[in-house]
Amino acid sequence: MSGAHPLHRVAIVGVAATEMARQLDTTSAEISLRAALAALDDAGLTVADVDGVAARWPGPGGTVFQPGSADWAEVFGQPLRWVCDTYPQGVPGALDAAAAIAAGLCEVAVVFGGQAGVMGRSAVADYTRPDNEFVACWGSLTAAQFALVAQVYRHRFAPDPEQLAAIAAAIRNAGSSNPSAVMTGRGPYTAADVLASPMVAEPFRLLDLCLATEGAAAMVITTAERARDLPQPPVAVLGGGSEWHRQQYVNPPRYDEVWSLGAGAAQRAFELADLSPRDVDVFELYDINTYEVVRQFEMLGLCAEGEGADYLAKAGIGTDGRHPLNTDGGLLSYSHIGWGGPTLKIVEAVRQLRGTAGPGQVHDAEIALATGAGSGAQYHNVMILGRG
Amino acid sequence: MDGPTQDRESRPQRPLTGEFWAAVDRGELVRPVCDDCGHNFFVPQFACPRCQSTNWAYQPSSGRGRVYSHTTLHRPPTPEFTAPYVLADVDVEEGWHLLTWIVGCEPDQVSIDMPVTVRFVTGADGHWLPAFAPDEAAR
Repeated sequence: MSGAHPLHRVAIVGVAATEMARQLDTTSAEISLRAALAALDDAGLTVADVDGVAARWPGPGGTVFQPGSADWAEVFGQPLRWVCDTYPQGVPGALDAAAAIAAGLCEVAVVFGGQAGVMGRSAVADYTRPDNEFVACWGSLTAAQFALVAQVYRHRFAPDPEQLAAIAAAIRNAGSSNPSAVMTGRGPYTAADVLASPMVAEPFRLLDLCLATEGAAAMVITTAERARDLPQPPVAVLGGGSEWHRQQYVNPPRYDEVWSLGAGAAQRAFELADLSPRDVDVFELYDINTYEVVRQFEMLGLCAEGEGADYLAKAGIGTDGRHPLNTDGGLLSYSHIGWGGPTLKIVEAVRQLRGTAGPGQVHDAEIALATGAGSGAQYHNVMILGRG
Repeated sequence: MDGPTQDRESRPQRPLTGEFWAAVDRGELVRPVCDDCGHNFFVPQFACPRCQSTNWAYQPSSGRGRVYSHTTLHRPPTPEFTAPYVLADVDVEEGWHLLTWIVGCEPDQVSIDMPVTVRFVTGADGHWLPAFAPDEAAR
């Protein structure tokens, strides 16, 4: 790297994910703290090194004031130089922290969050049950918002249901072999299993849709200079970007507006990285449902609109395929933890680049793509990571 | 109007959208129209999303439109809703669109681009909602 761009002066030096389960017998605060401490430990750092925090404050204690990250200063027992509550997770959280570090606003930022003790056994996660008056009255939820987009795609392009189901099956089988996944040991799944699972919101069947589980994730970001003295091989932020189409859960997402969402962000990110999507060795994509996986390959320009399922069937998405993806089992099978789910994409991307990803390790992965999206199909973000 | 029963009194009072729901309670569909640029928009916003003018007013809609997209929900988010039901994004002919239900036909009869017309139904909370039904006159 030339080091000319500010983002290229930072590195991800620590990541962590706690245990994951449908329900955990602890609190969101406690599980989030454990993730943060584990990521610092992974980085060879301690709380005393932290001067930047991006997190939500779930209580108990503290206040309801923003920024909740300042409540974490109390728990960490020291003042902070930089806080960011805007979107303290996943790609946007990492980009905010990277920008702050590159600008010298802080030197060691920890971005963390998750949930525990909040999921009822039968309830749908509250973040999937929007409270807007023009959404809630119709009994809509995340799966339905995305289904409205997928239905238009299906109407126009008639993708092969078997090819789509095979994507869900492959991701779930990656989760099956991941000992940390909520769905570890389940399966193996075939496309036929996916197609035989109950319909939830057409065209999505149960096995097309992500989990709603508990756990927490964290990442530690600092300067590339400081990263050289730390124990882990640093992971560089080669490029990144976000697109915010509009707030989620207000108006229904429309295919013609959102199917290519993220294309501009991806183009800027790859230009910054001086790479092409073809250079990506491993994809950690926001897999809130099967169609979103297909959409992102079309959005990236790796295949034409309407051809994603067929393209992926031919390219291969396993660890030995042309486009290995969601190697930890993704949101479909590993875990999806509320304010921390998007961070899991970066955790797995970093582990892939370190060569420590476990059963899902892609041989000699040098370039990883991590993405995130809104639960209402209204925003998208991408980050290209490489060995530092 | 010989419609379903409703509970007008307990409808929450909302500053931006009260007029919309009051019209629904009368069996009328209205939408915001910008006084300055003529833009139809939905959901209601304090300013026009095209020209940012705050001079806009609710005007009656014909209630006729077409299905932009639809999905049949088999698992409702909360027990107040009885599955299956058809969620849809309907393009209304004045040039605005809204999330709604398709009623008055079997879920598998709903299709993209199908003509529909507004039909008021009682929602899960007992208040009327502007759903849509197949528009036989437009077929």
